[in-house]
Amino acid sequence: MMSKEEKIPKVKDVQRGIWNAETISQVKYMAAMGKHRIRGCGTPRKFPTFDDLLVLPSQLSRMSIDTYREDCDTKTVLGARYAKEPLVIETPVMISGMSYGALSKECKTALAKATDIVGTSICNGEGGLLPEERDNSYKQVVQITPSRMGFSLRNIEAADAIEIICGIGAKPGLSGHLMGCKITKEIAEFRQLPEGIDLHSHPRHGDIFGADDMVLKIKQLRDLTDSKIPIFLKLAAGRVWEDVKIAAKTGVDGIVIDGAEGGTGAAPAVAADNLGIPSMPALVQAVKSLEDMGVREEMSVIISGGVRNGADLAKALALGADAVALGTGVMVAMGCAVCMKCHEGKCAFGIGTQDPERRARLDIEKAAQQVANYIQAMTIEAIILAKAAGKTKLSNLEREDIRSLTLEACAMTGIPLIGSNYTFTDDKFGFFNPSI
Amino acid sequence: MVSLDLSKMNSREANLKIRELIQTEGEIEVVGTHSIHNFATGLIGKGKILLHGSTGFYTGGFMEGPTLEVEGNTGWYTGDNMMDGEIIVHMNTGSNAAPSMVGGNLVIKGNSGSRCGFGMKGGNLIVCGNVGRWAGGMTLGGRIVVLGEVGKGLGESMYKGIIHSLDPDLEEKIGGNVTIVPIEDKEKKKLEKLFKKYDIEQGVDDFRSVIPLVSGRHEYVIFKPTHKKVV
Repeated sequence: MMSKEEKIPKVKDVQRGIWNAETISQVKYMAAMGKHRIRGCGTPRKFPTFDDLLVLPSQLSRMSIDTYREDCDTKTVLGARYAKEPLVIETPVMISGMSYGALSKECKTALAKATDIVGTSICNGEGGLLPEERDNSYKQVVQITPSRMGFSLRNIEAADAIEIICGIGAKPGLSGHLMGCKITKEIAEFRQLPEGIDLHSHPRHGDIFGADDMVLKIKQLRDLTDSKIPIFLKLAAGRVWEDVKIAAKTGVDGIVIDGAEGGTGAAPAVAADNLGIPSMPALVQAVKSLEDMGVREEMSVIISGGVRNGADLAKALALGADAVALGTGVMVAMGCAVCMKCHEGKCAFGIGTQDPERRARLDIEKAAQQVANYIQAMTIEAIILAKAAGKTKLSNLEREDIRSLTLEACAMTGIPLIGSNYTFTDDKFGFFNPSI
Repeated sequence: MVSLDLSKMNSREANLKIRELIQTEGEIEVVGTHSIHNFATGLIGKGKILLHGSTGFYTGGFMEGPTLEVEGNTGWYTGDNMMDGEIIVHMNTGSNAAPSMVGGNLVIKGNSGSRCGFGMKGGNLIVCGNVGRWAGGMTLGGRIVVLGEVGKGLGESMYKGIIHSLDPDLEEKIGGNVTIVPIEDKEKKKLEKLFKKYDIEQGVDDFRSVIPLVSGRHEYVIFKPTHKKVV
């Protein structure tokens, strides 16, 4: 028996299941404000990643390629389905659409310069085409967004490719959000907005109401560009299999699939956390959809959302992507700490801000070189894996070159599970079946 | 005036021919239109096209400079992304006329469907008849003039731009984040000039204007319960 003088040890309970610190603080915010919360940068949720796949090295069944002395081709041609002048870039790593407004002019300029160093493309995003971006970019993709802010025929004339945007992975089904703290006089004039207003931009294209109309719109854009430049369609990952089929029928040259890991300058937290599906399963469905239609070879597939390194790149290519597009990664390369407060406009690194003092902190030349280095290093990482798998072209990576580390990844991707080579998927998509 | 028969042409062929003729001839008369889509896409320069008949969707999209006169009707998205010049439609248009229009004048002598002037950024849209719901939604600039009745949700969440209306029930029909003000004298003068140019017999004194409420942020009501607490 314990004497009265002895203290009973206190047991510290862990937080009660789902009622963790984040949940409690969120409820308190809702109770105080009576409305949803806006958050920058995307979702902190853990999704299945490309880490759940492994690349198979060459041994006796394949010959490996010398990592340091033999070549592996990285040149990437996108949009050759109907365009007379497809987008040709040196690496299958592109910079995705991020707006001038969400990002500073210095950041956009640095990103554009990085594309010229490393030989890839940048997409302008929603807020118009900044002259500094166009003047410095190697290849310029121009986005056609529902709001058409800062958009005109002049933008199309300056484009190496067009990207019609239906949605983004961080907030699919919702329109663009740009908080008033970032709508400075300069941004307001560029976008034709009142200064300081919280922007909840146009949710749908005023000139595309449904897929049938999009068929005509694509024809119009072909007419306008004399079919020279590629037209891509950017879709947030949701009903991917169905959406991609429709996209193929509209007559575009390629699709950009943006997974739920995708970043953004501002989004309702509930949307970022709960809408859409992650990049890896989305990519699998997109490729399957195009294969089912018999158009996989002619249409380009670009995947974005959560791509971090050369391993992700190699595995995405093996799953069927032709290229990846980076957003958060390139910002991290120039200094971003992923603090998830882009919406507050106080980015200490001069990236996600319009405050002149903070903007001045970003050294454009240094940032451009860092981003170029990052893309170069990522490409090299992918080459290392591809060569080990016996490939002399990055684009030759295929599903047969990878295996699933987890049952979950196996079920989602149809890539055989390590050890058993077992796959959950049907024979039609069961690309690897040792019993056959 | 040279005549062009579109009856055996697709839109691409028609537009290539029109682009050639507007440079060499200046004025073109078009027949056999078979409600062609994407007519006069991105047509640039000076010149005039008189179209006997009706067109389909996307008439005069991205057009920059010429005058396009349609004797019949036009389909949806007439004058989408139009840069400059003028489109005169003598009958009616489908929905979504002048979406994201940048500049120029679109004059509709009849009625227009829903969402005309959506996301408009510049230029003038004049509708002599009625317009459907949500006209002038989320405009970023430009001027919309409606002589007939307007539908509900007029000017919802306009950011910039102005709408002039004669509708007596305007108070019940405007959307959120906009307000009604008396028409200013400088706007009256602009309307007089436009009406004269396009032979529109209408006085300007009775118009009222709808303008955006720019108070720092728009107000949105997302949750709309019907239950009211009884005090």
